[in-house]
Amino acid sequence: MKLQMIGCSHHHTDVAFREKLAFQPNQVVEALEKMRTAFPRSEAVLLSTCNRVEIYTAAEDEENCPSAQQLIDFVANYHGLNTEEIATELQSLDGEDAIRHLFTTAASLDSMVIGEAQILSQVKQAYDLANEGENTGPLTHSSFQAAMRVAKRVQTETDIHRKRVSIPSVAVADYASQFFERFDDKVILVIGAGEMGEETLQYLIDKDARDVRIVNRNHQRAVDLADRTVGRAVAWDELHELLVEADLVVSATGASEPIITASSFQTISDLRYQKPLFILDLAVPRDIDPAIADFVGVYLYSIDDLQAVCDRNRKSREREWPKAQLIIDEEVSRFMTDLYRRVTGPWIGRLKQQANEIKAAELERLLNKLGAAADDPKLRQEIDVTLGRVVNKLLHPPLESLREEISPEEGSGLLDALKKLFQLKD
Amino acid sequence: MFFGNGVPTTVFIYSRCDIGMDDAGSSWLTKISLSCFAFSYAIAMILELSRLFFRAPIRFLIIVGITIAGIFAHTVYLWLKFQKDFSGGTPMSSWYDWCLMVSLAVAVTYVIIAIRKNENSIGIFFLPLILLLIVVALFVKNQDPFTPSEATNIWAITHGVTLLLGTSSMIIAFVAGVMYLVHAFRLKKKLPPRVGFRLPSLEWLERCNRLSLFYATGLIAAGLVSGAIMNILRSSESQSGIPWTDSVVVSSGVLLLWLITVTIFEALYKPARQGQKIAYLTLASFVFLAMVLVFAFMAEHAASNEQVSWITEALL
Repeated sequence: MKLQMIGCSHHHTDVAFREKLAFQPNQVVEALEKMRTAFPRSEAVLLSTCNRVEIYTAAEDEENCPSAQQLIDFVANYHGLNTEEIATELQSLDGEDAIRHLFTTAASLDSMVIGEAQILSQVKQAYDLANEGENTGPLTHSSFQAAMRVAKRVQTETDIHRKRVSIPSVAVADYASQFFERFDDKVILVIGAGEMGEETLQYLIDKDARDVRIVNRNHQRAVDLADRTVGRAVAWDELHELLVEADLVVSATGASEPIITASSFQTISDLRYQKPLFILDLAVPRDIDPAIADFVGVYLYSIDDLQAVCDRNRKSREREWPKAQLIIDEEVSRFMTDLYRRVTGPWIGRLKQQANEIKAAELERLLNKLGAAADDPKLRQEIDVTLGRVVNKLLHPPLESLREEISPEEGSGLLDALKKLFQLKD
Repeated sequence: MFFGNGVPTTVFIYSRCDIGMDDAGSSWLTKISLSCFAFSYAIAMILELSRLFFRAPIRFLIIVGITIAGIFAHTVYLWLKFQKDFSGGTPMSSWYDWCLMVSLAVAVTYVIIAIRKNENSIGIFFLPLILLLIVVALFVKNQDPFTPSEATNIWAITHGVTLLLGTSSMIIAFVAGVMYLVHAFRLKKKLPPRVGFRLPSLEWLERCNRLSLFYATGLIAAGLVSGAIMNILRSSESQSGIPWTDSVVVSSGVLLLWLITVTIFEALYKPARQGQKIAYLTLASFVFLAMVLVFAFMAEHAASNEQVSWITEALL
């Protein structure tokens, strides 16, 4: 039996390298088809995200499983890359290490942002695609299903997923939600069309934000962002009018000076009649004059305020790490023991069968020798039971050692020894 | 214009309330006492407070379960007392009963909001008030029941019921207002979110605050107007009406004027409808209401030594 993983992640490779190896969803399907053709008796799951590209393969019979080198060649050929160029960058794990890696990945302990929830759905999606392509089998079924179960255990038994660690997610989920019950009836003003503003807007859209107005000094960029989202681009000149109407402002421009000063906000404040305004100033340097926070009904948060929460949440997640790691260790150990028992089971059965065949042959030979004396059914039964006991007592210690062996590596050695000693064959 | 009479009695918060339930049968329900539901609410409050210190996944279910058990005991207790008093002629017609009814109404409101907003720590604000109402009930337990009056039954019932609901609504508005101010303060000061101390959003609190105040104003106005009509009828029929200079009548009138002013202010002055002002106005309204209630408790208002209540007569 063999279970292995080759791949790369954000830990050891840069984004340029990962981009070369990445598989788009349609490419995943195609690659899985090709793998089924190339390695027909091997199971395979291909996990490709922006932070990792990993291929998991498994086979009941080790000979049917592609070697690490074969997999590297496969990936290189698929992407038209030089094998040697990628071989040094790819990580190869097998057996327990591969399972531990899969569990750790699914539980989001290997992610760039530890505890992010997306990876579990990506693992599930990769497994589903492999299932649809009929690339899976008993080993990948059990390992991926176990990985998803482990991830859920980590989610429910630790706080590692609870606290958000990115600025936009903290801004929306931890702060905006404390102001607003719903977002579909709120006027949301996004100032600036950069990455930070867009990411924050995406979180707001996830919360059903509908009335989004986007302003940017370069109007075309505002239009482009509006086209990509649910927003409406508005001319920069209308910024003050928009501020009068807004409930929530996300500002993330590249301006070197504040774009809204306390004096300019005074007029806006008069027209707002103290209607609460939540402002997220995500720009560095700041877009909004800090003195605006003193106006009645204005709640101004800068990137530093949010960063402090992110850092605290990150530390809180780190504190949860050992608890999560314990769960992973426990589950890996349980999985490998189960797996090992599944492997040894048929061999134990075969050994018993072989012993029983010998016993039956010897019993028959003895009864023939005994002649008429063997007609006594009681005697026949007694001899049969005695021989059975001898066989069982001889086999019991080695079989118990094999069954109770917790470490699969050591167990594998015992199994090999058993096969050799008793000359067991497939 | 509120009912009230007597001197505060000793508080026996955990003593069994001897309500003589023999008539109601010998089932275990008859053994329910005030201490049962007071304990339930107290335990729920302790559990709510523990949210501030540590996480416990099943705590919310325990809080809701205990509070619902408390509400059940509370309802059964009031129902059995109603049955007993009804046969004796004075059902639910004392300050003691009415304090317990208001606390039941607030407890039911609390559990509904708690279920809908299960991640929020609203119990920290609601449960102390519920317990306070129970304590007040014990203080006024020995006061005489309200005055019966054959000619003013309908107005008396309207007066009592609307004031009871209005007081409950005002308490809810008060709790929402306090929560709003605490939450707004935390957000203004940029205090980090605490897992164990999550409050509903400002938007929700403001809406709850405004609606509760609106209903409270309407109900209290109806209660005071019906009380005035009842008093006029009593005076015209040579019964013992309450003097118009009575401290409770005067303070109730001032409360009504204040509430009407707040409502007009809230409707006409735009900033008053937004943010913290409505919360401050609610707090002030609640203080007014509390003052009127204190006057009513202390004064000779709507009580007599007669044992036949106006509600009994109305029902009969």
